[in-house]
Amino acid sequence: MSEDTFESIDWSETDTRLATLSRRDWAAALTGLALVAAFCYDYLVLPANRPTITEPVEWNVTQLDWLFVATLLALGFYAIVPLCTNRRLTAYYWREFRKNRMAVVGLVYLLVVFCIGVIGPLVLEKPTLALEQAYQPPAFTSVDSTVPVNCIGSVVDGRCQGTMAHPLGTTGDGKDILVLVVYGMQVSMKVGLISTLLVITIGTTVGTVAAYGGGLVDELLMRYVDIQLVFPAFFLYLLLTYLFGGSLFMFIVIFGLTGWGSIARLVRSEALQRAEEAYITAARGAGGGTLYIIRRHLVPNVSNSVITAATLLIPGFILFEASLSFLSLGDPTVPSWGQVIATGRSDLSTAWWVSTFPGVFLFTTILAFNFMGDALRDALDPRQET
Amino acid sequence: MTEPLLSIRDLRTVFHTDEGLVRAVDGVSFDVDRGETVCLVGESGSGKTVTGESITRLIRTPPGEIAGGEIVFDGRDLTTLSDAELRSLRGDRIAHVFQNPQGALNPVYTVGWQIVEAIRLHEDVDEPAARSRAIDLLDRVGIPEATRRFDDYPHEFSGGMKQRVSLAMALATSPDLLIADEPTTALDVTIQNQILDLLRELQDEFDMSILLITHDLGVVAEVADRVVVMYAGKVMERGGVFDVFERPSHPYTRALLECLPGRGEGAAIGGTLPPATDPPDGCRFHPRCSYAVDACSEGEQPPACAADDDPDHVVSCVHYEPGGDPSVVRDDRETRLTDGGGEGQS
Repeated sequence: MSEDTFESIDWSETDTRLATLSRRDWAAALTGLALVAAFCYDYLVLPANRPTITEPVEWNVTQLDWLFVATLLALGFYAIVPLCTNRRLTAYYWREFRKNRMAVVGLVYLLVVFCIGVIGPLVLEKPTLALEQAYQPPAFTSVDSTVPVNCIGSVVDGRCQGTMAHPLGTTGDGKDILVLVVYGMQVSMKVGLISTLLVITIGTTVGTVAAYGGGLVDELLMRYVDIQLVFPAFFLYLLLTYLFGGSLFMFIVIFGLTGWGSIARLVRSEALQRAEEAYITAARGAGGGTLYIIRRHLVPNVSNSVITAATLLIPGFILFEASLSFLSLGDPTVPSWGQVIATGRSDLSTAWWVSTFPGVFLFTTILAFNFMGDALRDALDPRQET
Repeated sequence: MTEPLLSIRDLRTVFHTDEGLVRAVDGVSFDVDRGETVCLVGESGSGKTVTGESITRLIRTPPGEIAGGEIVFDGRDLTTLSDAELRSLRGDRIAHVFQNPQGALNPVYTVGWQIVEAIRLHEDVDEPAARSRAIDLLDRVGIPEATRRFDDYPHEFSGGMKQRVSLAMALATSPDLLIADEPTTALDVTIQNQILDLLRELQDEFDMSILLITHDLGVVAEVADRVVVMYAGKVMERGGVFDVFERPSHPYTRALLECLPGRGEGAAIGGTLPPATDPPDGCRFHPRCSYAVDACSEGEQPPACAADDDPDHVVSCVHYEPGGDPSVVRDDRETRLTDGGGEGQS
């Protein structure tokens, strides 16, 4: 009897079982691989200046775009898919979230900004220098006809009328502000989403591993976090900007890879509590390995605090990028909101609209994220309620 | 006689703490045969849980460490296994059920998902098959409308129902040994009985052995085949449940039984457990023992000696050592218990 019961165990088959990967994990992994393959093809095979795709729109995918696509896919697989499959939980969160009216408005606003930001630049021509249409006022407003070089609309009583050709007016280089704002939306979404995804991925990994690993692992990781937190990433960015010129890609990578320290601390403190819960012991008793327990039991239980922290990180990154661009430390090739605000700052007395519109969008976007963060915290993390 | 399913010999589990070395389990030996229920009894802090968790090395290392002894499960010494080998054993052939059903289920997953995970951690089955098995299991442990409740979250279950779900998870892979750590302590009495009945039924059905850890002698009387009485990390007495209840031989077992309302005098045991970092010399129980003699406070814990004719009933007490006089404990007990029983009935 002892023979046949004992032989049923295959001692060689003790490695981490892939069977516990869900279908979603598989789909995410395969899509990720496909993306990497496409990136390699674009980077190694296609000539640099040849557009990656020509149908339906011509789009030369840049490094940053690849990163953005990857971010959106991750967001889809690990935020949208679970929300759709867990209807009941989603409904519950939505009921809680809905209590905060401003947050709902903010969410709708952000969705609109997001969609326009993603699709708009694919459809709209990038604005170019066109001095003959500089300083056109926004539609339904007028400005003294001496301000624009050449008023496109009608001139009534010595005042140049805005036209629908440039609903938000144009800058001193004759670039259409509406188009700039749309491009700025994409820049802001890239900055906010990619950096935040980098930060929370690394922060959550380090935090949970430190908390669950304990001992030396914990000590090493957290001391490294201490060092990283005093590391002046800003000066590194300045140095690289000075050496190679500013680039949005560099901004995102530098601040994404160095900004996760506080998230790691937050996650660790939360995970330390969770690691003591009985279900973790139960999972170990059921035969779960370290990675399995961290991935399937610890991370989902700290994700609420992570999501809440993330929604407040996103506006931080957007604002930071805008302020660097305002100081001309940003990427000169991408029209970010901060940069447009900066170009309009000398014309405030004559052409108020140049700085104002991007400023309004920056302000409302950040406000919307903050409202949403508040409501998410109330919905996901009732313990933190203030 | 076939060899036992689980045989623990001289197990020592220690914890390195700031206050010093804590010998939570200090030389514990007992066997669990196939298909039988063994109860580990003792007051809080006596090392029962640590013993149970040492078997599959669930104790946190560090600070915990299995310092010695062997745990032979089905002919294999578990203390020599690698982590990966142990992992494939845990939940597959040795399953755990824990005391607190509120905490033993992960709040972010549906109960069905958790049972499916327990199955898929050890067997290569596809999701629909695992799902239908999980529903079977839920049904088997007495969850009404199992199909509908499959997609419910733990907070939508009562404590007793959660414990049933934990049981279903533990049984998912038909283990040979179920280690149940105070499975009924957090439940009220009626639910307690239901769970114990269920355990007994399932034991027959799945043909498994149960190591039940409890401080509740009522539970022991109900389900145990054999009893191991622990105190401060040492085994005080072990034997068949009838032997131990009818002829409790160690003064500590006696005192425990007398604490039961309706039996004995209902007198509490004076004093408290000795400090874990600095246990007394000699018998661990002697400072609280009313039969203590000078020899009790010297040397080590007395070795396990036969308490009566049954070789399985052993006791660790100087009075039972060769040359000692067991009647000092036993006769006194008989008179007091008889008196106490009489009062209880009147």
